[in-house]
Amino acid sequence: MSFLPLAHALASRQDLPVPAWLFAWGASIVLVVSFFALAAGWRSPRFEQLHERPLGAGLSRALLGLPVQILCGTIGVFLLGFAVYAGLEGTAAPDRNFALTFLFVTCWLGFPFFSAVLGDLFRPFNPWRAIGRVTGAGFRAIAGQRPAHLAYPERLGRWPAAIGLLAVVWLEVVYGNGGTGFDPHTVAVATLVYSAYTLAMMAAFGTEKWSESGEVFSVYFGMFGRLGIFGTRDGRLERRRPFSAATTWATIPGSVAVVIASISTTSFDGGQEGAFKDAIETVYGWFLDAGTNPTLSLRLAGTIFMLLCFAGVAAIYLLGVRGMRTVPGAPSFARLRAGFAHTLIPIALAYLVAHYFSYFVFQEQAQFGYLLSDPLGTGHTDLFGTAGSGVDYTVLSANAIWYVQVAALIAGHVIGLTLAHDRALVYWPDYRKATASQYWMLAVMVAFTCFGLYLLSVSNG
Amino acid sequence: MIALLALVAASALVACGSSTDTTAEETAVSGKFAPVADAPAGYSEVSGEADLERSGSGTEVSLTVSGLEPKTAYVAHLHTGGCDQADPGGPHFQFEQGGPEEPPNEIHLEFTTDSAGEGEAEATSKREVPAGEAGSVVIHVGDESHHEMTAYDPTDSEAVATILVHEGVDHSKEGGHHEEAEPEHAHSDKVACAELEGAAAAEGGTASGGDVPTIVVRDGEPVGGVQELEYSAGEEIRFRVSSDAAEEIHVHGYDLSQNVPAGGTVEFDFPAELEGIYEAELEELGVQIIELRINP
Repeated sequence: MSFLPLAHALASRQDLPVPAWLFAWGASIVLVVSFFALAAGWRSPRFEQLHERPLGAGLSRALLGLPVQILCGTIGVFLLGFAVYAGLEGTAAPDRNFALTFLFVTCWLGFPFFSAVLGDLFRPFNPWRAIGRVTGAGFRAIAGQRPAHLAYPERLGRWPAAIGLLAVVWLEVVYGNGGTGFDPHTVAVATLVYSAYTLAMMAAFGTEKWSESGEVFSVYFGMFGRLGIFGTRDGRLERRRPFSAATTWATIPGSVAVVIASISTTSFDGGQEGAFKDAIETVYGWFLDAGTNPTLSLRLAGTIFMLLCFAGVAAIYLLGVRGMRTVPGAPSFARLRAGFAHTLIPIALAYLVAHYFSYFVFQEQAQFGYLLSDPLGTGHTDLFGTAGSGVDYTVLSANAIWYVQVAALIAGHVIGLTLAHDRALVYWPDYRKATASQYWMLAVMVAFTCFGLYLLSVSNG
Repeated sequence: MIALLALVAASALVACGSSTDTTAEETAVSGKFAPVADAPAGYSEVSGEADLERSGSGTEVSLTVSGLEPKTAYVAHLHTGGCDQADPGGPHFQFEQGGPEEPPNEIHLEFTTDSAGEGEAEATSKREVPAGEAGSVVIHVGDESHHEMTAYDPTDSEAVATILVHEGVDHSKEGGHHEEAEPEHAHSDKVACAELEGAAAAEGGTASGGDVPTIVVRDGEPVGGVQELEYSAGEEIRFRVSSDAAEEIHVHGYDLSQNVPAGGTVEFDFPAELEGIYEAELEELGVQIIELRINP
């Protein structure tokens, strides 16, 4: 058997698999909670209304005013530019270069984690949106008219973002896995290419339109932001019921593909050295035997399994939707498919937390330690006196990490079930039928949660 | 002086399953001598056998060999590595690493061949060579640096083995005597090699030396793949890495590094303070060699 030449660019540490006893407890709690949810069977939706309460006008003006918008946009553009610069000019060592940790840990994981609590934090800092808005304003000032945009094909919806999401994760965990692709220089170039593409799309379809539908990061981070408690409406900052804004997220076509892409890519990354390892090795071996070189073989095998994960997660969800269709009075398949997509957002977040929480905590010490003081990794820069700092791996014990992982999955399960039950009450005013439809979503949720637990518990290596 | 008989050993037969047995039972390993590919004329017919027997309270190494030059002095050493590497056998086996390069800290067998080019020798030590560390026995041409071949009896047609365990005699040169300080002269006069446990290490990648696992690195790869070592938090983590080429070994997370010289071995010994799964790798190549698992 050929063994996989996996190399971790940033992570020099991995979590231990969740022990069997904790797996058993986690799975038991999931089942108990699920039956309780069915039995509880509340009769009117809890989260379908936002119950928003505007915050003070002064606070809103201060936080959402033009000066703050300009400041946040400038910070976003500066950091993106700096990350690209560090990637191009800094050390080729992934773990010593600001670019990789900043883009793939601080932003890629930080925005989902914090947005899920506070609301969409990426939007104000979105560097492409900032550039697009400034360009648009400049155009209006000079030409004296609004820029003319192409009509965005609505059928396309968020599919560009879903495909882009797969591509971003593919770059990190498939292309970069041979240890040759995920270097700061490649990532910087990819960032420039992505920036050019995004700005072109914004010019074509309008900055806000593209941010809402096609721009990967806006859509992806914004999705998690729907779980958070702060939002804006008409220039006013407001507090809303947690998770409630998610209920209106999936109204754009293709949204369900985004959330499925999120769950499946996290599953793939979590399983590629554990649950799927043997299977990937087998396929990798086939490519090797066919004369493909090892790096390409690894990437091909990884690509296949990432797509299989996407197909698998999609199949489970669609089976659940198909099942709900059998309940009398059900709306159309397409409507159900989009209608329950948002119930998977908590599951996607739970997967992210379970797989990357410890990685985030450890790697952020590098981000705000030596990477901040020596962003290019030259070895002789020390901006803030922290260039010599390291990562303290004792801040999280293995037990603490396990509990957070299992708790995240259970919490995601409960929130997902709750949102699904709520949505069912919207479609089936008769709560008995609503509950009947939820046997299906319950099965979907139990499948995802137990699969998540399974991924965590399989011994990797 | 016969120099540059530098060679590569070919066939390597080997070591039995009991080589990893760490109890004090009697265990034996043996291997066949073979000359090396570009051996100069005169050594292509070398054959024979080397045996190593552990008795719990000591070690006995013996060899019988034929196909050597007649009536010539040779010396054989116990080495830590296998025959199948650029420097056959790697470094000499030493009970105390970095200690004197002579018996009793090393195991040497000196002998002189008979008129037919055959010889045999035997050496005993009162210490037991840890399992997995008896890589091979390599025969060198006896040169000026070995004058102790006293037991040769010209009247005897058979070669006479010299038992060279110099108990109680301190041959060590005073002061620190580093391996690197004195380039191994012996590298240039190797004649034949018999693999004992070198191939066991080659198959398993890890040869457990007592309780200390040894990871063998060859051609920039851990032999047998990435080695998994598991500990509980608070335990002592101990392992050795031997490499055919100079490398920096880096243990991530714990952030420990050691340079291993070509053909050398380094030992890591540190407490398991950090929980999780950590990699040790060849820093320059970025190749993982060990996966350390520290359970809570």
